[in-house]
Amino acid sequence: MAPGVERSFTAASTLEEAMAARRQGAAVLAGGTWMMRDPRRGVDLPEAVVALHRIPALSKVEIEPDHVVIGAAVTHAVLGRALHAAGFEGLLTAAENAANPGIRRVATVGGNLCALDFAAADLPPALLVCEATVELETFEGPKLIGISDFLKDRHALLAEAIVTRIHLRRDLVASAHIRLPLRKAGDYPVAIVSLAVDKDKRCRIAVGSVEPVARRWTALEQAMAADSASAFDPERTAGLALEHNDFQGRDGKEAEGWYRRQVLAPLVKRGVAALLKTGRLV
Amino acid sequence: MTVIFQLNGEDCRFDGDPMTPLVDILRQERFLTGTKAVCREGFCGACTVHVDDEAVPSCLKPIGLVQGCAVTTIEGLSSGNQALHPLQANLEAADAVQCGMCFPGMVMSLSAFVRDNPHASRPEIKAAMVGNICRCTGYERIVDAVADRLEQARKAGQSVGGIHV
Repeated sequence: MAPGVERSFTAASTLEEAMAARRQGAAVLAGGTWMMRDPRRGVDLPEAVVALHRIPALSKVEIEPDHVVIGAAVTHAVLGRALHAAGFEGLLTAAENAANPGIRRVATVGGNLCALDFAAADLPPALLVCEATVELETFEGPKLIGISDFLKDRHALLAEAIVTRIHLRRDLVASAHIRLPLRKAGDYPVAIVSLAVDKDKRCRIAVGSVEPVARRWTALEQAMAADSASAFDPERTAGLALEHNDFQGRDGKEAEGWYRRQVLAPLVKRGVAALLKTGRLV
Repeated sequence: MTVIFQLNGEDCRFDGDPMTPLVDILRQERFLTGTKAVCREGFCGACTVHVDDEAVPSCLKPIGLVQGCAVTTIEGLSSGNQALHPLQANLEAADAVQCGMCFPGMVMSLSAFVRDNPHASRPEIKAAMVGNICRCTGYERIVDAVADRLEQARKAGQSVGGIHV
């Protein structure tokens, strides 16, 4: 920031106020755990920011009989305390194990989804298998978009929008979230595999941290659907994972790309075992 | 920008860049150097303070987000003229302090933890320490001291963290 220029900081108390600041070019500040490290990445902090933490509607978790709505300003810790609903074990694990306790008390769901360069984020793969819908407030009004499309296009979408809520259908029988950090103490996971089973016993699988952006593992999902013999057998499913591994591992500080790719089959095996352990697949 | 907040029970005013990390204001303007700025990435926990009673890393907290909040640092837990916080007394009795760099953050994280989790098990204590790194690797004694604190509080039938911060 140029010397003598005062940074603009708006603590919005309504979405309208936040959008007004956004129109004038303010960057969205959630918990700050990603943005505050910008200077360490060689990026200047934005000259204008708008904080969302004082907008009450964005800080709520609503659990209804057929759906769940999570406000974008809900922290991982709050989500972990609130989300005790059958079928969401994977998302709960993601919220309760990301980073470390101090970060989880500050980092928000919206911030985790909007950190464009954060490949190792825990919530995207967990939300992919929930087939979440992301609600945005755009300059033209509210907009709903599927999580897969949001993650693919978020760079462009977020240029003129704020993530406000995440919508989840309660159509899951069970889910699991398996992460592989090199150490337990708050490391970014080398690879993440999220799995979920819907009421028709179809398995959804998503992978995070292996490629720059989390995505569904459709090749494995299709192989499992076509192979009735696998029927949630951990060994057999791990074999399919090995056969249908179509990921291009990214090289990074924690691990090289080949390793991230190689650990996927064992993580799938652990994930299927975790699904079976819920006792809800019979 | 002007930010008004409570710091260790007293009114505090900051004029300046709202994106200044809280840890820098504590150390450089308020000379509360118990809070350590070590990794500045939220990994090490040495800068942990309480903001509205929650233990959070102050290196990643822009002061603009602290408007209207109550901040407690290690200096606010016990002034030195008062009795130690019960957890500090247990840590001292267990001779758990080594170089001291991680310790203010460790105490701030664990004092909130024992307040909120009076029946915590040993694995739960360890899980609560995941974000507080001790390079002297004195973890086991720290866990012992926390377990002792919880046990003493249970025996005494008192609420853990008797000194309200």
